[in-house]
Amino acid sequence: MDYALQQLLNALAFGAEYSLVALGLAVVFSIMGLVNFAHGEIIGVSAYSVFLAAALGLTSPFVAVLLAVGMAALAAVVFERVAFRPVRYAPTTTGLLTAFGVSIVVQNLFMLLISPKPQSVSILNGLNQMWFFGPFAVSSLQVMELIVSGLTILALVLFLNRSTLGLAIRAAARDFATVRLMGIKANRVIATAFAISGALAGIAAVFILARRGSVSPDLGFGLVLKAFVACVIGGFGSLPGAAVGGMLLGFIEVGLLVALPQEYAGFRDALTYAIIVALLVYRPEGLLGQRIELGDKEI
Amino acid sequence: MTALPVLAIGLLVLNFAPTYYTFLALGAFVNLIVVVGLQVFMGNSNIANLGHSAFVGLGAYGVAILSTPLAMKKLSIPHAPFGFATLELDPVSSALIALLVIGIVALVSGKVISRLSGVAATIVSLALLIIVHSVFINWTNLFKGNQAFFGIPKVVGLPWMLVFAVLAIVAARLFKDSRWGLQLRASAQSPQAAAALGIDAKKLRLMSWVLSALICGLAGVLYAYFAGTISPKLFYFQMIFNTLAMLILGGMATVTGAVTGVIVLSIGLEFIRSIESGVTVAGIQMPQLLGLSGVALGVVIVLCMAFRPSGISGRHELDELLSLLLRRSAK
Repeated sequence: MDYALQQLLNALAFGAEYSLVALGLAVVFSIMGLVNFAHGEIIGVSAYSVFLAAALGLTSPFVAVLLAVGMAALAAVVFERVAFRPVRYAPTTTGLLTAFGVSIVVQNLFMLLISPKPQSVSILNGLNQMWFFGPFAVSSLQVMELIVSGLTILALVLFLNRSTLGLAIRAAARDFATVRLMGIKANRVIATAFAISGALAGIAAVFILARRGSVSPDLGFGLVLKAFVACVIGGFGSLPGAAVGGMLLGFIEVGLLVALPQEYAGFRDALTYAIIVALLVYRPEGLLGQRIELGDKEI
Repeated sequence: MTALPVLAIGLLVLNFAPTYYTFLALGAFVNLIVVVGLQVFMGNSNIANLGHSAFVGLGAYGVAILSTPLAMKKLSIPHAPFGFATLELDPVSSALIALLVIGIVALVSGKVISRLSGVAATIVSLALLIIVHSVFINWTNLFKGNQAFFGIPKVVGLPWMLVFAVLAIVAARLFKDSRWGLQLRASAQSPQAAAALGIDAKKLRLMSWVLSALICGLAGVLYAYFAGTISPKLFYFQMIFNTLAMLILGGMATVTGAVTGVIVLSIGLEFIRSIESGVTVAGIQMPQLLGLSGVALGVVIVLCMAFRPSGISGRHELDELLSLLLRRSAK
């Protein structure tokens, strides 16, 4: 029982992290059709800025968390301004490849300017402790991950439903041209979307740093690949889909971890992806996706 | 016609260049075949494919497992399942079997990919790469895991490489200008109009996916046969970055573009690599700049996408351009 509960918490925590990152991808994709491969590097920028701040003498974990989230949002907005604005009206493939290029550039810049080797960051390690509830020992990080992700998603939902800018973002996902006719500035909508997406990535970066205690150039890349998969299962561009897909991915991974014997543990990733591809055979548009009429929007 | 410059460079290197350059040229030709293979799918269907190096890896490991001499196998994979440990085939039949396996893998994965819309297909191609890579790393009895797999017979030299590169270019060009290629490009531009004309886009995407996989697989086979040693990380993201940048820079709409991109970036990258390892400029020893080539590749992709999305060569093949020019000057 204890073991089952522990694994359930594991699955929820993994799922929450994937959901956060996947939501960030989906917010941007739903508005401007950009498949943001550079999302992982936003996480990277956030983690490296904490590393640099710690190296320069920052000791307060609270400031580090703020810094991580703020830098991630800033990085996302800067990426948009520098790299993605020129390809805003281009076909999806062009945007995807641009983002891929940005991702390569930033990863290699970390390598070039800091170091190709992982660097240790211990400032956020305090978040990762064992808490004891009677007979249960749980990792504080996992609990926090779950709670913070839940609150973040709640805040996002409130923002998207209650504020004007949030409404504009949701409307822009449907029909950007009309939103602009209503007198809303396109640049503002897109910059906000990127800032949200970056902040979500920054929160994920905090958890990654607390868990790993180190930064490396490809730190966000693997996670973002998984988040993409989560988006695809959920239905690309659908926000609830991204959250559900992330959770599902967390459960599949932990389920495999429990089910697979030790000597096959290395095949976990392969099997996870294989299961997902198999899901897509039955639902090519994802679990919560809709068939999009091709006349409205170029895919 | 598109293959002519390649042939010329190949012959030049064959006859005049020192061994070091021959080795570089062999690597560049492998990249060339991969990029041409990539063009067959990406250029015609306009769906980004980020998983092609899985097929290159499958080709290389396929022949490695089948054709490595028994004495070497005792050292490297003594516990291989299915009797592979005691099997040694000649290089040609190994290559054919490897390509057959690739064909089957491509057919199965293509069934999924051809059903999906653009973005989802790209993500699934990535998933395929990760699945294949993780099998290479973890199935140590058969693939030797993270370590290098050595002792593959080195049977391919520059002349054969040249022949196959030209063949790949010709195949890609023939496919592009065939009925199917034309229909596929039409359906990529306007799915509804193409469907209204009775074009089965899924079938065509599957077809180009398999052909693309086979060409990439061939590149892997050739790579294994010239290098003699392979390891899984060769066929992972680094290869994707390199070949994708080459295709984009050259222009993915045409086979000429693929060829141009490979030539330009191969030379450029070699130059950057020499800076990367630390050079002496005016008596000052520069530090090692790891990651510089990566930055350059990424910048090439981003700038290209922003300012010239159609790449260097644009929409026309080399021979089409030449005939256009000739006609214009005749008037």
